[in-house]
Amino acid sequence: MKRFEYKVPGGKLLRAKVEEQDGRIGFLQITGDFFLLPETDLEILENKLIGFPLDAVRITDTVTGFFAERKTTMAGASPADFAYVINSALGIRA
Amino acid sequence: MRSCIGIDGSRQDRATDSSIFYISLQPPFHRCSRTDKFRFLDLKVADAYTNMAVDEALAQARGEGKSPDTLRFYMWKPSAVTLGYFQSVEDEVNLDALKEYGIYLNRRISGGGAVLNSATGEITYSVVMDEKDPRISSDPVESYRYLCHGIVEALAILGIEADFKPINDIVVGGKKISGNAQIRRYGAVLHHGTLLVDYSAREMFSTLKISKEKLSDKMIQQAEERVTTIRRLLGREISFGDVRDAFEDGYRRALKADLVPGELTPYENRLVKKFRERYASREWIYRR
Repeated sequence: MKRFEYKVPGGKLLRAKVEEQDGRIGFLQITGDFFLLPETDLEILENKLIGFPLDAVRITDTVTGFFAERKTTMAGASPADFAYVINSALGIRA
Repeated sequence: MRSCIGIDGSRQDRATDSSIFYISLQPPFHRCSRTDKFRFLDLKVADAYTNMAVDEALAQARGEGKSPDTLRFYMWKPSAVTLGYFQSVEDEVNLDALKEYGIYLNRRISGGGAVLNSATGEITYSVVMDEKDPRISSDPVESYRYLCHGIVEALAILGIEADFKPINDIVVGGKKISGNAQIRRYGAVLHHGTLLVDYSAREMFSTLKISKEKLSDKMIQQAEERVTTIRRLLGREISFGDVRDAFEDGYRRALKADLVPGELTPYENRLVKKFRERYASREWIYRR
């Protein structure tokens, strides 16, 4: 299990826990003290990214596109912060 | 006369006297609830599972138009650590310390951070309103600012100058004295938070794991330096009764509302029973 922790400047704390499986995301969990509505969106995103190749640009585009499409409301973190913490936990950069 | 539910939850007939507030079940509640009156559920003590179940029950009943806007004060027995919805048990809590102190563990439906809800050190409150109420901004920070204002007023009544610090804190001299969280669900907004009257640093910081990232961001080395309490600021003892009175007056001012004493309705009590089972379940608490 690889982890990465990121405190958004002026915002909240994000943690990503990831496991790689055959060059793809095998497990992903994001935790922290951020606010996100509807709260079910986070689990949907985590499930959506399972099986994704370790491609930082694609992960970033998927994460930001997902939140924009679903009009997810958040406070203390941005969609880009979520992408950053996932990619950082995976050890890849966009 | 039309039959209505009064703000105290009792069934009443609608009167022609406009000074008397009644809540009609038809048309939907929110259309006739934008008055300056809130049901007030005064300070009661319960365990963590019940406390969280009551807040969620209030939100559902309000969203369904079956209950009025509500302000609730409550305390905890036994003490409990409540996690934010997205937090992980292993990252936030020292389970051995919880066991040592006999502290319950629970998870909120709202986001935000882990809180030690001390049985002897704080008053917790919740405000439940219609999500479409024009006083509730769609901007989360503005919504927090509005619903946290009662705490700033309450502290001012006690002679303490406090500020709202976005996103969800109230601070005095840069130190946190109140943490708050919100969720919008069922068509209602549920806002709840704590006001620290006193606390045991040893209990708080042995049960909660404070992130090094978070501390370094605030340029503070000692976790104890991040929080303060009413008793510490006043430099004297103050009873929970006096704090409660200031709290009530503060929210009366902030909401510009009359607070009408009430109780949970039978429907809300049924919801509490249902939700409490979930809050007490291992599946819910350890979901992350």
